[in-house]
Amino acid sequence: MLASILASGLAVGAIYALIGITYNTMFATSRVMSFTAGQLGMLGGVFGSLFILQFQLPVLPGLALTLLAAAAIGVVTEFVAVRPVLKSLDQHLYVLSTLALALMIQQVTAIEWSTEPRPFPRLLELTTAHGPWDQKYWLPVVACAVTILGLEYLYKRTLVGRAFVAVAEDNFAARALGLPERNLRVASYALAGAIGALAGFSGGQLLLAFFANGPLLNFYGFIPVALGGLGNNRGAVIGGLALGLFQQAANFTVGGIFSSVAVFTLFIIILLAAPQGLFGAAPQRRV
Amino acid sequence: MDSAKPATVFEPPLTPRAGLLPRAVLPFLGILALALLLPFSGNDYWALIATRAAIYWILIAGLNLVVGFAGQLAIGYVALLTLGAYTASVLASGTVTPEVPAFLALAAAAGIGAVFGLVVGLPALRLRTFYFAMTTLGFATIVTQVALAWQDVTGGGIGITGPAMPPPFDTAWSFFYLCLGLAAVVTWMTGNIARSRFGRGLIALRDAEVAAEASGISKPALLVSTFLFAGACAGFAGGLFAGLQTYITPDAFTFELSLLFFIAVLIGGRGSILGPMLGTILLTLLPEIAAPLAAWSTFLYAFLLLVIVLAMPGGIASLLDFAGRRPLPAHRAILPRAAALEALLPARPEAAPLNLAGIELRFGGVRAIDGVDLEVRPGQVHGLIGPNGSGKTTTLNVICGYYEPQQGRMALGAAPLPAGMPQKRAGLGIARTFQTPRIIGEATVLQNVMVGGSIQGSSSFFATLLALPRPRAEEKTIEAQARLALAAVGLEGLAEARADRLQHSELRFVEIARALMLRPAFLLLDEPAAGLSAEEIRRLGALIQAVARQGTGVLLVEHHADLIFDICDHVTVLNLGRVLASGTPADIRSHKEVVSAYLGA
Amino acid sequence: MRITRRDLSRATLAGLAAAPLARPALAQTEAVRIGWLAAMTGPSSAPAIGFNRGVLFAANALNADGGVKGRKIEIITRDTQGDPTKAVNATQEMISQAKVHAIWGPTNSGESLAVTAIMARAKMPNIHPCVVDQLIDTRRYPNAFRTAPSNGQWDDAVRAYCLNVLKVRKVAVIGDTTGYGVSAVKASVAAFQKDGAEVVYQANIDATQPDMTPDMLRARNAGTEAIIIWSVSTGMEARLFNTRGNMGWDVPFVGHPSMASGEIGGLLSRPANWEKVFAIGYKSCSYGADGNLPAKSQELVSRLQGKVALDDTLLWWVAAGVDAVNLIAGAVEATGSSSNEAIIRHWNSLTKHAGYFGTYSFTPDEHNGYPTEEVVMSAANTAKHGAFALAPGYG
Repeated sequence: MLASILASGLAVGAIYALIGITYNTMFATSRVMSFTAGQLGMLGGVFGSLFILQFQLPVLPGLALTLLAAAAIGVVTEFVAVRPVLKSLDQHLYVLSTLALALMIQQVTAIEWSTEPRPFPRLLELTTAHGPWDQKYWLPVVACAVTILGLEYLYKRTLVGRAFVAVAEDNFAARALGLPERNLRVASYALAGAIGALAGFSGGQLLLAFFANGPLLNFYGFIPVALGGLGNNRGAVIGGLALGLFQQAANFTVGGIFSSVAVFTLFIIILLAAPQGLFGAAPQRRV
Repeated sequence: MDSAKPATVFEPPLTPRAGLLPRAVLPFLGILALALLLPFSGNDYWALIATRAAIYWILIAGLNLVVGFAGQLAIGYVALLTLGAYTASVLASGTVTPEVPAFLALAAAAGIGAVFGLVVGLPALRLRTFYFAMTTLGFATIVTQVALAWQDVTGGGIGITGPAMPPPFDTAWSFFYLCLGLAAVVTWMTGNIARSRFGRGLIALRDAEVAAEASGISKPALLVSTFLFAGACAGFAGGLFAGLQTYITPDAFTFELSLLFFIAVLIGGRGSILGPMLGTILLTLLPEIAAPLAAWSTFLYAFLLLVIVLAMPGGIASLLDFAGRRPLPAHRAILPRAAALEALLPARPEAAPLNLAGIELRFGGVRAIDGVDLEVRPGQVHGLIGPNGSGKTTTLNVICGYYEPQQGRMALGAAPLPAGMPQKRAGLGIARTFQTPRIIGEATVLQNVMVGGSIQGSSSFFATLLALPRPRAEEKTIEAQARLALAAVGLEGLAEARADRLQHSELRFVEIARALMLRPAFLLLDEPAAGLSAEEIRRLGALIQAVARQGTGVLLVEHHADLIFDICDHVTVLNLGRVLASGTPADIRSHKEVVSAYLGA
Repeated sequence: MRITRRDLSRATLAGLAAAPLARPALAQTEAVRIGWLAAMTGPSSAPAIGFNRGVLFAANALNADGGVKGRKIEIITRDTQGDPTKAVNATQEMISQAKVHAIWGPTNSGESLAVTAIMARAKMPNIHPCVVDQLIDTRRYPNAFRTAPSNGQWDDAVRAYCLNVLKVRKVAVIGDTTGYGVSAVKASVAAFQKDGAEVVYQANIDATQPDMTPDMLRARNAGTEAIIIWSVSTGMEARLFNTRGNMGWDVPFVGHPSMASGEIGGLLSRPANWEKVFAIGYKSCSYGADGNLPAKSQELVSRLQGKVALDDTLLWWVAAGVDAVNLIAGAVEATGSSSNEAIIRHWNSLTKHAGYFGTYSFTPDEHNGYPTEEVVMSAANTAKHGAFALAPGYG
């Protein structure tokens, strides 16, 4: 029982955390929270199933194509729903434009792919591990660890990464320094697309290739961001894993309907108590 | 072309007098007339669709105040429709309680809607936009889940019969008339709110929150009233919805429906009532006309939303805003009128000064203000100068309560002035303008100025909703004063123009007019001359002196040294958060450190 | 003859002006208009797509033979997407605007609950295949007839199989969190308990929940001997089957027909996970021990050959769609009238009327027309041309 809670809790927690990181990556360079984050996760599963099961590609090229396709969707998001409303960031039009785009992505998937969940391939030919050690539980955790390490390396050790950080910290100053702020933003949306898709791909065996995963991941992926504080990736990982464990524990103990009520209630209480998140920064000046 | 005429008794500018019916009401009457003609089609299908549109509008009319006016992105309002529908159905069916008459059940639905409207809305007081949108979405999911799980009351997935209307409302067309009548009443109510200080306050909170606070508008109080009303509308609409559907199950309350409500407001245009009403009609009809596209309906809604946001942020309302497109006079001048000012600001008896002593404010390790003493006397113009970053605007923000200093005291005469709570400053007679004008671009100049008179109204939200005599009288007074204030700053000709069409210099005077609405004891001006022409600066100077003559103490933050030395009675120079010098203009001019450090002579 | 929505709205525009004039007595040559409320798109659209094939096939066949008493059959379809609100609009449109003579559908219970009262108010002859028991009430809805088993009948068949064939006494009842799932679990639990079985575990699971282990573990710990499933979510069902496989547990699943849905095959981690899964099926659409369908069904299959695809749908959906059109056409044929009263009176007089999907009997006091004994259990993983092999034990 405990092993099952831990395995599935950490697995879905890692998926939520990756979606949280997707939110953060987009937010860092644009100050925009995008409703497309969850849809990217959903697309990870759908593209994975499409490339590997339908087109019969091997796993690695399938993964590469999935990440590439989702990165392209990320770039489209930047062009269609983010760039045009950046001028008037204080009007929060991005909430509407990204919501619209997210719904369009979801609806097209529903119509062109299927409204029923479709299978996602087993990625590794392992037959020995069962139960809590099944690949579907540890793959998302590995993906999450790889992502967070990769991002740390990117931000700390590479020039591009440092430019990202500079833009994230002070947009105007970064532009004044001559950093290609616009290109960095597009790149961050591509990166976010890939991270979101990785979440859906690594968790594909749990979530299946299902169009309705989008809003689900959107909400549960947002909670780690709200808990961990905007833009704080480590906070998102901690928040995501905590959420996953809490949710699965509630699933095991009180069952379906009440676990979602419990998660929502906890979410609201924490948000009201700490609007900046548990590891968030203080609000900015207003006047 | 000179404004400084000798003071004569000022004739208030004429209010454009409406005829028997204000022009703005005509489109609503047109829609109502069309709706009343509908039964002549004799087709029950149209009765159903039109009833549906009327019921949706009852909800959307309330939601419009939340989304369109207050700018709160409440996406999941279908939750309140669900609650209202179940409340009315459960009470009317008598499965849990003794059977309740249908209209009483509808009233209870409105009550429950109001309570939960508040519950859903309250996070908006603490959470930012995206967060709030998410919580309303989450709430919508939870309500459906509870409806499913609480089977003994809600009938679970099997659902429950909707309330049956008593005669004479038990036929398709009579029920339509009932809903139409109710929709008309709700339209009238939201219209009353929209045209009152509450409606202006909501828009101000949306587009210029800081200015709203400075005008004394309390965000919590205003939003709470609005959420209660919108929730009641939604709950009531839910009861009617259940009656129309005859039977409700949780799967009737789809996210698509929520989206319809939300998008109807945005298609209609923020801050309008006619627009969202047309939006509602359009979105209710659209799926009927485009039924082959049923599978794509969510996609179309979303696409419409994207187009609206990117290409037509003003929605239908902006298309219909013919007056707003009329060109403004090209060669116009700002001509302050001293006589209007005297009529607006009766000379005040000698009052107590505003005192700051030893104020210290740190941001992290940075000392933004490092022990500032300041005294602003009534009837005087007090200049506050210094290089960029010396703490001038920060000092204003401390006085206005936006920042709480770590050290020091503030006092109005003998009474201490508590730190923080910016929305309390208006009541104390402290008004201000901002370095970047905080203006509601979509509202008229007159409405912008009327925002400044918000605290003069004392009638309740409820009384305003019903257009009782007192709020109407107050409204007239505030409007007359706003016209006076506009005349005082010389912009009465632009009263009906949309504020976002004005030039930058004109906006500075609009802000002064808004501040004057408080008849302030102290007026704090933050670089009012920035961006003005030499002639305009001269007029501004005369206006400021005229304000001071009426007994108001003016604290003027400015970079234009000429203006400062021309009109100030006293000047304080700040540097690195400290007072470098303080005295009469003549003292300052000859102060060595000031001259070398700042005046650069 | 399928009328598309566009034609309908064009006719509407013309008709609006001339509405009062357009009604007179073309009754004898006027087409028989059948409203077809179908959830053709959106989630849970699979049944309607199957029904639709039968509906169109039957209408075309009748029209090719010269129609009914010289009158063409006209099918007026409207996609409700399973949304009760859209269904209400569509129903009223069919009644007041398209002026149909009878309505077939809707196909989901949630929609059906919302429109039944509206049809009753208009005394509209209505047949539908929705399972919720409350939908049939001859006193309140004398116009509504069911041509498929009710949930109660499904329940009876499942219970009979568990208790009499599998001979289990301890069952777990699991549904999803949709309206259907919640109410079906409740009804099923009550019926098992009434028959003396022990319900050791019951749960409603969110169909999107990624991991079914918690519930399966609890069910096993409670000593479950058979798991009863009430859900239309194939994703959830596949996860349950996979979880059972991973746990190395051989408990049988018995219940909802969707467990035999073709999509499940792709969602399984091993084909063996689909063994010992018994889904509700129908005698008319099941292969007997000899591997053959009943004769009448075989006749339908040969008629459908080459015209209607069966591999990606279920035979019973197509057959029920054919029967629906034939029942309406039969009433007009028998009474020579397409009036509401005539059609309803005719249906009320049917006894052991042989359709393809079942043998229907209605009386003025009983509108559940499908015989319980024709509801059987089938082996979920044996689909062939939209039909299944009978579950073991029907010998």
